[in-house]
Amino acid sequence: MSRLGVLLRHRVRRDRLQLIIWILGIGLLALFSTSSIQDTFGDSASRATVLRLAVANPSILLLRGTPDGAGLNAFVFFEIFTFLALLAGLMNTFLAVRHTRAEEEFGRAELVGSTPAARTSPTVATVVYGVLVNLVLGLVVALGFTVGTKDAAGSFVVGLATAGAGIAFLGVGLLSAQFMRTSRGANGLAAAVVTAAYVFRGIGDALGTPWSDRLHVTPAWWSWLSPIGWGQRTQAYGANTLLPLLLDGALAAASIAIVFVLQAHRDSGASLLPGRAGRATARRTLSGSLGLAWRLQWPTIVGWCVGGALFGLLAGVLSKAISEAVGVDAALQRTVANLLPGGHGTLAQIFISAIFVMVGVIAAACAIQVVMRMRQEEVTGTAELILATPVSRLRWLLDYFAVGVVAIVLVLASGAVASGFSSVATGESAARIGDSFEAAAAQLPAALVYLAVLALVFGILPAWTIGLGWAFLGIGTFFGVFGGLIGLPEWVRNISPFTHSPVPIGTSTDWSGGVWMLGIAIVAGILASVAVRRRELGTA
Amino acid sequence: MNSLIDAKPAHDASAVIDTRGLEKRFGRVRALDGLDLSVSAGEVHGFLGPNGAGKSTTIRVLLGLARASGGSATVFGRNPWDDAVELHKRIAYVPGDVNLWPNLSGGEAIDLISRLRGGADDKSAYAKRKARLIEVFQFDPSKRGRAYSKGNRQKVALIAAFASPAELFILDEPTSGLDPLMEAVFNREIRRASADGATVLLSSHILSEVEQLCDRVSIIRAGRTVDSGTLAELRHLTRTEISFAQDTLTDADLARIPGSHDLSLAGGRIRFTVDSHQVAAVLPALAELDVQGLTVAPPSLEDLFLRHYGDKLDDAVAGEAEARTPRRRAARAAAQQR
Repeated sequence: MSRLGVLLRHRVRRDRLQLIIWILGIGLLALFSTSSIQDTFGDSASRATVLRLAVANPSILLLRGTPDGAGLNAFVFFEIFTFLALLAGLMNTFLAVRHTRAEEEFGRAELVGSTPAARTSPTVATVVYGVLVNLVLGLVVALGFTVGTKDAAGSFVVGLATAGAGIAFLGVGLLSAQFMRTSRGANGLAAAVVTAAYVFRGIGDALGTPWSDRLHVTPAWWSWLSPIGWGQRTQAYGANTLLPLLLDGALAAASIAIVFVLQAHRDSGASLLPGRAGRATARRTLSGSLGLAWRLQWPTIVGWCVGGALFGLLAGVLSKAISEAVGVDAALQRTVANLLPGGHGTLAQIFISAIFVMVGVIAAACAIQVVMRMRQEEVTGTAELILATPVSRLRWLLDYFAVGVVAIVLVLASGAVASGFSSVATGESAARIGDSFEAAAAQLPAALVYLAVLALVFGILPAWTIGLGWAFLGIGTFFGVFGGLIGLPEWVRNISPFTHSPVPIGTSTDWSGGVWMLGIAIVAGILASVAVRRRELGTA
Repeated sequence: MNSLIDAKPAHDASAVIDTRGLEKRFGRVRALDGLDLSVSAGEVHGFLGPNGAGKSTTIRVLLGLARASGGSATVFGRNPWDDAVELHKRIAYVPGDVNLWPNLSGGEAIDLISRLRGGADDKSAYAKRKARLIEVFQFDPSKRGRAYSKGNRQKVALIAAFASPAELFILDEPTSGLDPLMEAVFNREIRRASADGATVLLSSHILSEVEQLCDRVSIIRAGRTVDSGTLAELRHLTRTEISFAQDTLTDADLARIPGSHDLSLAGGRIRFTVDSHQVAAVLPALAELDVQGLTVAPPSLEDLFLRHYGDKLDDAVAGEAEARTPRRRAARAAAQQR
């Protein structure tokens, strides 16, 4: 027991900051979204309108969930739960891989495994630790919702549903760690499973059967394939049944049982899927630091492009449905128009612009990961191999800048292409293609600001690169995208680059914010070049 | 003892590496504290020092990866911080702890570094050199980064270093993790590079390697050069050990040997040391005594090493003793004063 205690304490010690951010972040999201939904959809008539719109347009159900009546709290659960469960899933798979496969990959598992803790105790400790973390997460989520909804019973059901999904995905993460040889591979596989769980329940929800009142939907069988779908079936604030959560426990127990069987039969460090062999010689493209930066980063860029395309698809498919459904309802038209400041264009344009702010966030995330890769290269010592050849620090930085700019353009373009062509496919006019590309172009300056400013951080405070990068993005997204909905004061919202992105609607678009940000990006880029040229290469 | 030393006159060319009073501070820590290092063209220079003495820091300054806080450092007569790119065209570097990109194979990493250095421009010559090195180092180039053991990661850096011509090789404990067979291959490659006229700075802990390869040696400690010269010169400063069978020799007989130190008797053999330049003076006395089973052992590099690190070792032991019994430490201090 005391050995398990040591391993548990070690895990808490390593994770404390990271987990506080994850758990508080999810809890605050629960709190703020509750209050913002209450502000925006305060009366039951407007909620009923939105729900009827959603029921009529399965693509909304795909993103949100299945509605369970127009009651305020049930409406909140419908709007937010699937997203919370998605976040809890990612938190858990990362946690599982971090304490198992990553330890094996970097050889630290051998240090622990050579003590009487042996090979299994670390996994046992990770399971216990993961379950405890999820219980805390469930409690925080429950408290967040209780404050917002004043319904403790329903809120604790939401908390347990979130924790249940988390524990199920903990099992998924532990299992994928058995399959893959590298932590990167295990994280990728587990995140893909979490995303698939989100998509499966989306398909099931979209194919669900609406009730005659058009305010409830019973999901199709697909949703029962997903831990997120199980959580939705608790029908929090309504039926409040915990029975579906048994499935979470069953999935986790089965996964963990398989993990222990597999672990009993394999060597430490080995994996079910063997690592693939690589090429004996390099392709011609891998001949400089630019080629290397691209080679290291392209899988990530492709991933973000898929994300951008998904949001683009959403904008394209929904824009027509929205304009049709909302067109007749003056109250709803006002609601949608409030999504964007100064929105005077057609509803389709407003909607596309609003969705493209999210594509812009994705492009910025992709850009900061390029800068973070530079830092990782520095820390792991591989940058030293490159900089000991005739490659200057400036050249090295500029190559990563180039990859970052290309990455931003690719993410925005994939969003624009998906949006433009999908809206034309649904029968909208060809003008939507132009609207989409314009909306994408409007997001370029903000993403460039992220690229250049984080590069400047890398030049001046290299050790802060990764932490500040994600913090900047989180703060910018929260203030810029949700700030208006939850009523933050204007000066706070102005901190976010996304607030200043031009909104290309109608004929008279104000591009000045974009021009300013372009200027800031260029100045920050130059300062970053000077700083990186002047500073020494760090060691771990 | 080492024909290489005699073959190369000490004065032959200007210094390829030259540092004078080099300083490097990290906050209040002085990693380098007035380091002098001079490496002439064409020589293989051993760079010795205990862990944390500043060897890797010096190398990072010489590569322009770190900036000197004081003193001067030049490589090929140029400032390594300002002219890093130009200098790196002439330098091959092997780090002591090689990390590789997890998703690149070893072969790809070798190609990448060689192309960056411009050594792969002549494709067929490069392919030939690379194939030969992969063969002699018995290296599998198609595995991915993290699948390699430490020794195999080291081979990636070594093959990349030797696969392109270079005027200066900077090697930071290049054979750590290599098996003895591979060390022999490494020694052969260094001799080959040296025969082609390259200059080599070899930081190492493996004294036999330094003895076999190096013309001159610099020993550093706590960021400072404590000794520098050819091995013959350094040995000169250290005592030679002489031993022979005791037989019927008496203390009075032994007292007639001039310049002897640390006389001891163990296992029926007399042992003592003399200053290396006095060995010849001792021999007539030994002949007179008609000693049997005579051995004369020149100081090993290990002796040299311990002579320079020795008092540090004593400090460490004393520190330990202090923690246990103050009295023992006092006794030790008294012994040191003697």
